[in-house]
Amino acid sequence: MRDRGKGAGRELTKGIVRTNPLLVLMVGLCSALAISTRVESCIFMGAAVIFVTVCSNVIISLIRGFIPDQIRIPIFIVVIASFVTIVDLTLKTQPAIYERLGVWIPLIVVNCLILARAEGFASGSGVYRSFMDGLGIGLGYTVVILIMSVFRELFGTGKIVLFNTTLIDLKVDAMPKILIMFPGAFITFALLLACLQWYQDRRKPKGKGAAGNE
Amino acid sequence: MNEAWRYFLLFFGAAFVYNFLLIRFIGLCPFFGISNRLETSLGMSISVIFVMVMASSVCWVLRSYVLSPLGVEEFLYIPAYILVIASLVQFVEMVIKKTSPPLYKAMGIYLPLITTNCAVLAAVIESTRPGFMKLNIEYGYTFLEALIFTIGVSVGFAIVLVLFAAMRERLDMAPIPKFFRGAPIAFIAAALYSLAFMGFQGMFGL
Repeated sequence: MRDRGKGAGRELTKGIVRTNPLLVLMVGLCSALAISTRVESCIFMGAAVIFVTVCSNVIISLIRGFIPDQIRIPIFIVVIASFVTIVDLTLKTQPAIYERLGVWIPLIVVNCLILARAEGFASGSGVYRSFMDGLGIGLGYTVVILIMSVFRELFGTGKIVLFNTTLIDLKVDAMPKILIMFPGAFITFALLLACLQWYQDRRKPKGKGAAGNE
Repeated sequence: MNEAWRYFLLFFGAAFVYNFLLIRFIGLCPFFGISNRLETSLGMSISVIFVMVMASSVCWVLRSYVLSPLGVEEFLYIPAYILVIASLVQFVEMVIKKTSPPLYKAMGIYLPLITTNCAVLAAVIESTRPGFMKLNIEYGYTFLEALIFTIGVSVGFAIVLVLFAAMRERLDMAPIPKFFRGAPIAFIAAALYSLAFMGFQGMFGL
């Protein structure tokens, strides 16, 4: 296994590979599917999610000794909500981006992947490991939405435009526009999952595919 | 535009044209998580309708009479709404447990899950601070409009959830290529549903 390394480094890589939030745990799907029409929005969304997962993981890990068990979920939510508000107000200074990301910024609060990490990891681990875990989970999310958005934007519109500069232009007129429309999100994600199952199946011939190890 | 027609458009737009699950991708986690069986998805749908309508009414009042006059709406709305939803869910759970055990049995296990269902928060945010949804109806909903909007959203959510569950039960028996079994085929099916719902685009000029 690739992630046989020790301690904190493992927390980082496991979020990206073995317990990837989107592909393996299947949490936080909503924003991933909605945002991934353009690479540019994905960069901002990924940055926002990484910021919130890292900060909330660190804070929750710091105060984990003082949190009464019965009301821990509301406390986690308030911590996460504060960081989301910071992101919300920061992005509001860029109206063009804010309009495109729209309701997804406030919805990071209820993104199950962040609460799941707070509850499942940060509330029981040290600060440094929680930091690495948050970073890994955030990066895992970002990598997947970037892959999806590159695929969708490139084949849906024929070119990739990043910050007003065209990076790649296929110069083809008739592209399958459906990829940047609503069904395209589901199809792209389904193909990604199928590829993953195929890959896992090929690596261990007698295994049964997507095992979803915790 | 006469009043009744406007309300109808608001309802129809929220339920079908801008369906939360298939067109706007909000609330997908429970959608794929629990849509395996028809029975559970029925229970979940009823709970979502119930909680969503209550949460958005309470939050509308909270925003108009507390947050907005105090001038703190801009930076307090996220924590305020999420706490209202979380406590409302707890409260509803306790009330139902005391008053109607059969209903609690049907809805009980889904209620805690709803707190982190992004569909509820999204519906609340949009009914109190509209603007994310590009309906050609003026923004700044009145209480009645917000209520109708939320009912539309939750009914649309429920319809799709139940339809999808009914189809997934059949999917178990279908011959599917090996690597598409399980989650991938569910997403492909959702894509086809989404394609069908795209047919509503532009209906009544929405």
